Amino acid sequence: MRTSEQYSKEIHRTGRLGLLITIIILYAVPVIICSVYDIFPTFTQFMLSAGGLLAIFIPLTISEVISFTPLLGSAAYLTFITGNIMNLKFPCAKGAMDTAGVTPGTEKADVIATLSVGVSSMLTILIIALGVLLLVPLEPILQLPAIKTATDYMLPALFGALALSLLKSSGDIQVKGVWKAGVLPFILILVINLFVYSLAGLEGVALILMIPFTILCARIIHKKGWIKVVYSQNKGKEMNDE
Amino acid sequence: MGFFDVANSSLVYLLVVFVIIFVFVLSGIFARKAWKRGIEIGISKDILKRVVKQSLVFTLVPSIAIVIGLFALAPALGIPWPWLRLSVIGSVGYELMAADMAASGMGMTLAEASSGGPAALGNIMLVMTTCISAGMIVLLIFGKGIMGKVNKLSTSKSDFAHVVMACFMIALASVFIPGILAKGVIYILVFVTSLIVTAIQGLIVQKYKIIWLKDFILAFSLVIGMASSILWTSILG
Repeated sequence: MRTSEQYSKEIHRTGRLGLLITIIILYAVPVIICSVYDIFPTFTQFMLSAGGLLAIFIPLTISEVISFTPLLGSAAYLTFITGNIMNLKFPCAKGAMDTAGVTPGTEKADVIATLSVGVSSMLTILIIALGVLLLVPLEPILQLPAIKTATDYMLPALFGALALSLLKSSGDIQVKGVWKAGVLPFILILVINLFVYSLAGLEGVALILMIPFTILCARIIHKKGWIKVVYSQNKGKEMNDE
Repeated sequence: MGFFDVANSSLVYLLVVFVIIFVFVLSGIFARKAWKRGIEIGISKDILKRVVKQSLVFTLVPSIAIVIGLFALAPALGIPWPWLRLSVIGSVGYELMAADMAASGMGMTLAEASSGGPAALGNIMLVMTTCISAGMIVLLIFGKGIMGKVNKLSTSKSDFAHVVMACFMIALASVFIPGILAKGVIYILVFVTSLIVTAIQGLIVQKYKIIWLKDFILAFSLVIGMASSILWTSILG
């Protein structure tokens, strides 16, 4: 049997190589098209279109990597390659981790998340391909007002389904009462959204600021003994390092 | 040659299909490696099968929503390019926004992009690729380091290290849930419906020991939550 280090090395190698090849072939598509049809934009044209987008997307995507990688482990490689993170891959992986009863950050969680994102990505690719093949007959059905409404509200339905699982930890190591650390960040983000500025589309940036804030809140609450870490292999033994 | 002659050309289809097949195979490789490792470290085949089944069932509805996103992009950008972006790297929300902003940088709306001829298409394709690649590049450079630190935290003997790990999920909920709730009453009602449906199913699993239902809770809650939006919209307008 391979050691954890051997597996980790192997999966990182596959992930990084996969990422590198994906970046190259993704760029190859527009570059080849622009070369063949002689439609390369000038640098000024490119920057006029890309300037604003780069200002938004670069911090956003970087924040997403920093925020989601700890939760997904090596599944992050495939998750970022296949995209649709918040609306599909992350909830899928989280649901799978809950089903398997594994603690995020452990090797078991890594394996389960990778398996989940892998099969989910394959099915999504097949369904989208089917959608392309059946574009004409499907369009009137999928453009029905009821379907359109239901799709518009996918995110609240998704988070409603995930809320309980996000707030309680799963696996061998249970962090009881950790939801209390999220109360202040929750109120802060709600107030900002309602009275200051809608953070829609900027959640990645907000997340990178809220992670240290949540940890700070957790530190204070943990010191007060309102958060307890319970190790299931030592049933009944609650430990505090304070 | 016009905008759509290039956008729907066989060359674009060929390149797009090549990339999608590569990512499909890569997904299969990851899944296979994870399955094998799962067996090696003692995760039962039954659990692994349940994870696969649950993931497949859950994926159905969001994937159909992605196909709907394809319909939104195809009239402006042709079929193959949105097909690629939604199958690989992109997401429904970002792609629409990115394409729209790329077009507006050229002084036109996304719907008018075709009036800019094939040159506009080339520009949009390059801009969309550049903007979303940042995440992959960062992951390529820093991913292994981040995962190494997380691994250290999760294997740490300190209680607070486990609290820190749990905080990532809490922060995620603290950012996304208020953002959704602040969007309006129907969003709140859909969220609550989905939450209640999840809780009820959890109780049914616990009380009546219907284990198979556990694998479908997320998918059922998602579908019922989304369907409830039709009811709430018809009541509240």
